[in-house]
Amino acid sequence: MTLAETQALFHEALTSTDQVKAERLEACFAGTPELPAAARVAIYADMYRYRLIDALRVSFPELVRYLGDETFAALAEDYLARHPSEHHDVGQVGRHLPVFLREHPDPERPDLAELAELEWARQEVFFAPPAEPVGPEALAGLDADGFSRTGLQLSPALTVLVQAQAAAPLWRRLEDGEPPDPPAPGPAAVAVWRSGFEVFHTSLPLDEATALAGARAGDSLAAICAAFGERDEPASAAHRALSGWLAEGWVVGLRR
Amino acid sequence: MTSTRLDLGHGIGLRTTHFAQFLAERPPVDWVEAVTENFMAPGGRPIAVLEKVRAEVPVVLHGVSLAIGSVDPIPERYLAALAELVKRVEPALVSDHLCWGTHRGQYLHDLLPLPYTEESLAHVASRVGQVQERLGRQLLLENPSAYVAFKDSTLTEWEFLAELSRRSGCGILLDVNNVYVSARNFGFDPLEYLRGIPADRVGYFHLAGHSDRGTYLFDSHDHAVPAPVWALYREALRRFGRVPSLVEWDDAIPPLEEVVAESRRAAAIEAEELAAPLRRLAS
Repeated sequence: MTLAETQALFHEALTSTDQVKAERLEACFAGTPELPAAARVAIYADMYRYRLIDALRVSFPELVRYLGDETFAALAEDYLARHPSEHHDVGQVGRHLPVFLREHPDPERPDLAELAELEWARQEVFFAPPAEPVGPEALAGLDADGFSRTGLQLSPALTVLVQAQAAAPLWRRLEDGEPPDPPAPGPAAVAVWRSGFEVFHTSLPLDEATALAGARAGDSLAAICAAFGERDEPASAAHRALSGWLAEGWVVGLRR
Repeated sequence: MTSTRLDLGHGIGLRTTHFAQFLAERPPVDWVEAVTENFMAPGGRPIAVLEKVRAEVPVVLHGVSLAIGSVDPIPERYLAALAELVKRVEPALVSDHLCWGTHRGQYLHDLLPLPYTEESLAHVASRVGQVQERLGRQLLLENPSAYVAFKDSTLTEWEFLAELSRRSGCGILLDVNNVYVSARNFGFDPLEYLRGIPADRVGYFHLAGHSDRGTYLFDSHDHAVPAPVWALYREALRRFGRVPSLVEWDDAIPPLEEVVAESRRAAAIEAEELAAPLRRLAS
């Protein structure tokens, strides 16, 4: 067999849901009476499944807590059959799980896709590039003209999710070891960010999520503030939001 | 490519569970090995910790995803990330495994053995050349633990490694535990393996524990180094002389002190073995 044919057969033996016939394995792999070729290859097949399911467990601890180990492992097997790892970092293997759960929703908990999305976002911001936040004085002294010509650079370790159902309450209950409440209706927004080496998330009003999306896209401060136009007191709502972003370290520079 | 045997001394694998304690206490280890892929992300705690550790002791980058023997092309994304990390960390050495692990873009995240044939040899030697040229430095390759061999193999693993090193200029990271595990799983003599490895190509040793699963030994890295592996380490020291060593512990990881104690034991055994001829001479 060529090297390519050998690797194709080995790959099939590790990943196929149908068992590869022992005769095909014995033609390629050497075994012994105590440990035949097929049993030797099975050691690798078991390790393949174990290692990838374990990586998914690390990325989605609350989903594991909700489903339990056995159900999570069954979900992981279905997921991996559809989305094998395509990244050199095994920790990236779960990147499509939120979409997979959206395509295959749990009838009782359709919000599990959102829970997985929140957990994945927490992992992503943990490894995002570092950036030094600016202090609250960064915006001091900007006049109206400055507000229309200045935008914000947001931290790469901040992401904002707008979800069809709110995952943050479910995450909290699971994290605290409490029984989950029924799914929380959406839409709902949640900000996920890293401060130092710790990851946080918090629910956000939808208009603030829109303002942050605008800021990320390069909107001016004037346009960002306009996102709060439906509030009773838009100016003070915008001021409170901007002050909060600065205090949390979400702003790392100004765009002029 | 010049072969490298640095006088690094005796180190341990840097693991997440020991990050805080390592930085706070600066344990008595001469160097650390970091699993390359765990530090490729641009931010977060791992790379920040590694940079602090690097300021205090030499770091060796040890990869698990290069898949040097895969038929798949080496992904540019991986090579770029590796080159970037090497530039950032300035490691003493860069190593990975003699294995394959990708197929048509899919990562299997395992160190899968290769058939030891002329075709494999030419393929791996060419890819080592590609990596060494990209990094501008020598790559060291580790002998894997294996559970299966191939009917098509025409060379032993030690013959393959020796010839690969000669053709490509790569160094050899000799995992003493893996030699022992594979020797038991395939029934060869581990001393014959050691005799087949060219002494001047060995850059450092790995030491680790394994599990006995009845019909085979499993390279689990979840135990202290067992007596037969210490005994083989002594044989390796007699064959290769002073070689840096690294204790690996990846599962059921004990307190840092325990891993450090294993590394100090490696240093003590080295001192005993290398002093022995002088003692005999004096008596």
